[in-house]
Amino acid sequence: MTGDDQAGLPPAAPPPTGPPPGPLEPWPDTVRWQSVSTDLIWVELLRLAVLIVIVLAGLAVGWAVSGLGAFGVALAGVLLLTALRTVTIVRAVRAWGYAEREDDLLVRHGLLVRRLSIVPYSRMQFVDVSAGPLERAFNLATVQLHTAAAATDARVPGLRPAEASRLRDRLTALGRDRAEGL
Amino acid sequence: MNEPAARDPEETRPPAPEPHPGGYPPIPPPHPGGYPPTPPPHPGGYPPAGVLPPQPGWYPPAGMPPPPHTPPAPPHGTERRQRLHPLSPALHGAKSLVVVIAGLSWSTLSRVGVGWFAVLAVVLALGATVLAVVSWYNTGYHVVDRELRVYEGLLWRRIRAIPLERLQAVEVVRPLLAQLTGLAELRLEVVGGGKTEAPLAYLSVAEAAALRQRLLALAGPQPETAAPAPDTPLVRPEASPPGRPLHAVRNNDLLVSQLLTPQAFMIPFGVAFLATQFLSGESWSFVAVASTLTAMAGILLQPIRRVLDDWNFQLARDADNLRIRNGLLETRAQTVPLHRVQTVGATWPLLWRAKGWLRLRLEVAGYSTGEADGRNRPDQLLPVGQQPVAETILAEVLPGVRLDDLPLTAPPTRARWLNPLSQPVLGAGLHERVFAVRSGLLTRQIVVVPYARIQSVRVVQGPVQRRLGLATVHADTAGGAGATADDRALAEAWALAAELTARAHEARRASRGQ
Repeated sequence: MTGDDQAGLPPAAPPPTGPPPGPLEPWPDTVRWQSVSTDLIWVELLRLAVLIVIVLAGLAVGWAVSGLGAFGVALAGVLLLTALRTVTIVRAVRAWGYAEREDDLLVRHGLLVRRLSIVPYSRMQFVDVSAGPLERAFNLATVQLHTAAAATDARVPGLRPAEASRLRDRLTALGRDRAEGL
Repeated sequence: MNEPAARDPEETRPPAPEPHPGGYPPIPPPHPGGYPPTPPPHPGGYPPAGVLPPQPGWYPPAGMPPPPHTPPAPPHGTERRQRLHPLSPALHGAKSLVVVIAGLSWSTLSRVGVGWFAVLAVVLALGATVLAVVSWYNTGYHVVDRELRVYEGLLWRRIRAIPLERLQAVEVVRPLLAQLTGLAELRLEVVGGGKTEAPLAYLSVAEAAALRQRLLALAGPQPETAAPAPDTPLVRPEASPPGRPLHAVRNNDLLVSQLLTPQAFMIPFGVAFLATQFLSGESWSFVAVASTLTAMAGILLQPIRRVLDDWNFQLARDADNLRIRNGLLETRAQTVPLHRVQTVGATWPLLWRAKGWLRLRLEVAGYSTGEADGRNRPDQLLPVGQQPVAETILAEVLPGVRLDDLPLTAPPTRARWLNPLSQPVLGAGLHERVFAVRSGLLTRQIVVVPYARIQSVRVVQGPVQRRLGLATVHADTAGGAGATADDRALAEAWALAAELTARAHEARRASRGQ
C-alpha cells in the first residue's frame, strides 16, 4: 500500500548540462523524486464520495418530488463527472512528488496545471504537520512549509507519520542551520 | 462634545499624587486575567523625561492585594508600561462620527429628517467614544528586551508581543484630526503580518518620533548604524525628511498625472448625467442627486486620493534608510530600511507615455496584500517622474541596476497563442543582481527582484502551455506578488528556475558572509 517509486530514479550524477527532457521531471539525473503514499488515493476518493453522496441525494430527492427529467440528466452528469474525477485522483496522487536536495526542497504536483516549487531550506519560516480525521484513519499526515512569501506552495500530503516527522525534523534542522529569514 | 467623555477615566481614577491627564500607570502585578508576570516598574525606564510617578489603580482590584510599592531593580531592558495619549478616545470618537454619518447614508437622512439624523449620529458617535475611552483605559505598551508588547482589551485581553527583529518599517501617520491636535499615530509593519500590526493611536508627536527611533534602533541589523539621531522636528508638513534629499515631486506634475487617468475621463459623463437630472424636472430629487454625487466621488476617489496622499512627495536617503514624506491632509513620514526592500516595480501607464512619465513602486515585506487600496503601505518610490529621475532613485535602492539596460528577452513566438498582442512586450531576464520581468501591453510594467530576496521559485504549466511547450516561472517574495515570467519555453523555464535558485543561494550566502 505504500508509495511505489516513480520510474527512473538514477542516483545523483554530475550537474545537468542540456535542457531537461520530461515536463514534470526536470534535472532527472540529479533529483531523486519521492512519491507520496498511494493510500492518499483512498483519502481523496472518500472525500469525493462524501461530497457526491450529498449532491446525489439532493438531486434524487428533487427528482422524486418534482418528477422533472432534468434532474435525471443532472444525476447522470454527476455520475459521469465522478467517474472522470476518480481516474484523475488516481493519476494526480501518483503525480505528487517531493525531493530533498542539498539546499532546497522540491515539490511538484498537479496534472492539468503542473506545478513545481523550489523552496530553499534557509527561507523556511515554519513547518506544519497536520492530519485530518480521514488522513488519520489511513495513517497519513501532511507536511507544509511556510516561507515569508504567501505564494510559496510547498505542501506534501500523504506521508506516513514517521516520514512526516522525519521530514519535519530534517527541515527544521536544515532551516536552523541555514536560517536567513528575509 | 467629546472632550468630557475623554476625561472620564481620569475622574474615576483614585487621586494620584500628581494628577495629570497623561499619567502613565505602573505595570500591574501578575494578574489572574492572564497577564504574564512583568517585572516591577523602575524609574529609569523610557522615556526619560516627562514621565510621572506611577499611579495605583490602573486595573480594577479584582481581589488582588494592592501592588507592593517596591522600588525596583528590574532586569535590563524592561520598562514601565506606557499608555496612549489621553486625547486619543476623543479623536477616535470624532473619527467614528464620520463613519456613522456615512453608514446612515442619504436615504436615512431623507426619511427621518435632519434633526433626528443629527441626534442619531451624535448618539452613535457618543457610544463609540465611550467604547474608545474604555479601550484607551485598557491599552498599554512597553518595550521588553527586543520586543514591543502591546496590551489591549477589557473582556478579551490580548497581549501582542512584536519581536523587533521582525520589524519591517515604522511609520508615523498624522491624519487631519491628529494634525489639529498635535498627535500622531505609529504604525508598525512586521514580517508575515496579514495587516498592519498594532497601530498605536495616538501618541504625541515627540513621543511617536522618539519611539520610532528607538524601535528602529532596536530592530536594525547593526544597531550603531541604524540609529541615526534626527532631532529635527520629525513630523511637520513643511519639513523635509532627514538625510540626504533625493527627489521631490512637483505638485503640478502630480495633478496632471492624475488627470491623465481613466477615472478622470469619467468626469464629463458624470457632469452630463447630473445636468440631465437637473433638467428633467420631475425626476429631480435631493436623494437622486446626492446619490449620483456620491457615486461620482467613489469613481474619482482613487485619483483624488493619490493626489492627496502624494502631495509634497519627498524622498531622502538617511544612512541605510529611505525616508519618504508625503500627504496633504494626512502627513506621512515613512522609514524604509533599504535591506528590507523586496521588489521594485516601474509602471508606464498608457496616457503618461506622451509625457515620458513613469511611476516607481516598491514592496516591503510585512505589508499586507489584503488591503485593496494599499493605502498604508510605503509603496511609492516615485509617484510620477521622468525616466532619468527614476534611474537615479533606482540606483540608490538597487545600485548597478538601470531600467534601460535590463537584459530582457521575449518568450518564443508560439507564446502568441496565449498572448496574441502582448507577446513581444513580455520579457524576462537575469541581471547581475536582479531578476527582471516585463509585462503589459497598454500599461507597461517592469518588476525587479534582487536575488537575495527570492523566497521560493515555482514553475507552473497549464494545459494549453503544455501543448505549446511553455511554462511560467514565478519568483516569490515576502510581500507583494513577486515576479512572474510568463510563457517561457519549457527548457528555458527549467534553466531559469535552476539559475534563480542558484543565484538566490549565492546572493544570500554573500550577504550573510558580510
